[in-house]
Amino acid sequence: MKNKIESMLKEMVKKAIIHANTQINEEIEPFIEQYNGPFSTVLKDNYHISRSTGLPLCQDTGMVEFFCYLGVDYRLKRPLQAILDEVVSEVYMSSPYRYSTVDDPLFERKNRMDNTPAIVHMISCSGNSLAIRFLIKGGGSENLSRLFMLSPSAAKEDVIDRVVEHIAEAGARSCPPLKVGIGLGGTSEKAMVLSKLALTSSIYTHHQDPRYASLEEEIRERINDLNIGFQGLGSSISCYSVHILTHPTHIATLPLAVSVDCYLCRTGIVIIEG
Amino acid sequence: MKVELRKAGESILYSGEMIIMRDAAQKRLSAYEKCPLDLKGKIVFYAGPAKTFPGDAIGAIGPTTSARMDCYLEMLFKFGVCATVGKGRRSKIVADLCQFYHGVYLIAPSGCAAALSKCVIRHEVLLFEDLQSEAIQRIEVKDFPLVVAVDTNGSQLF
Repeated sequence: MKNKIESMLKEMVKKAIIHANTQINEEIEPFIEQYNGPFSTVLKDNYHISRSTGLPLCQDTGMVEFFCYLGVDYRLKRPLQAILDEVVSEVYMSSPYRYSTVDDPLFERKNRMDNTPAIVHMISCSGNSLAIRFLIKGGGSENLSRLFMLSPSAAKEDVIDRVVEHIAEAGARSCPPLKVGIGLGGTSEKAMVLSKLALTSSIYTHHQDPRYASLEEEIRERINDLNIGFQGLGSSISCYSVHILTHPTHIATLPLAVSVDCYLCRTGIVIIEG
Repeated sequence: MKVELRKAGESILYSGEMIIMRDAAQKRLSAYEKCPLDLKGKIVFYAGPAKTFPGDAIGAIGPTTSARMDCYLEMLFKFGVCATVGKGRRSKIVADLCQFYHGVYLIAPSGCAAALSKCVIRHEVLLFEDLQSEAIQRIEVKDFPLVVAVDTNGSQLF
């Protein structure tokens, strides 16, 4: 029984990772199809070649970040971290992807040769199912992650300005148009995780509170006014969407975390009913 | 094709040789007094290709963020490099260095590594093989799409 549940889980996640690395995100494809600025031909050719050959869309096949909603009644015999490490290792060792992880971060920086570890965030919930959202996160976009500890008396405009200033300065480096994830509230690390989780959202979703939904739209418009464009070359849009996730916070704090995803938006969702 | 003669903003389809290296290899090179390989007149491509499918010349390949390697640009020019290829805007010092050393900086399209791999005819590892995808490698390309971002006058596209 153990092997059946685990092997089904592994196969589903593997398939989803390969899909995200080789099949263009269907929400994003129309934007690339409409783009006709510099390098537009090669950008379009790329996903047709990926689709037909199995070569990855980008050579930076990233670290894989998982957000796991694990129901208390979903029975696994082994830690999910160990299972997902195996999934990543098996996919990356058997596919024409890149091993992009190094062991010691500061001194040897020796390549681990299996692209592990999986970055795993656990969210415990009721029920007997397991839902996994994941990002294939390249280093170029990851280097734009930022945490700002705002004053608790900050206004909406301060949030907008901080995010827009950051994207204006560095946005062109992470393969725009961008999806922008924002974590607002919680503690410093909670806000960072929320900003990443926000990147797993469909570009057509909004915060359920209309005030935050309009803040998302306002930031998106302000980023688009920067005219960064595809490839940072000034043509077409700069930002697909902005997603804010909020959390209660301390009376003295207002953490603001920003994460971005590149124009390929390599994400996926796997849901397994127990 | 002399990329040094091209002006900022010009699009070209480059055919010829490029030397691949990125962060780790340049950090290692910076410890050498004399460059362990001949880089005179070479174009350096900031990249780290993915694994190669059997039968293909190379796997998925594309530019990485050039700005991270601004600190090594003067070293490359002193080794005789004539141009660098990567992605994204770089710091102001790059325009000054390009002007001083008569070098250029070109950008390659990012996030389209499957398509770019089809422009590569030949591929070999030259040095620092233990760095894996970050080893110094040599490729020969045909009709590789590039745009000049900084020219020898220090004029900039961005």
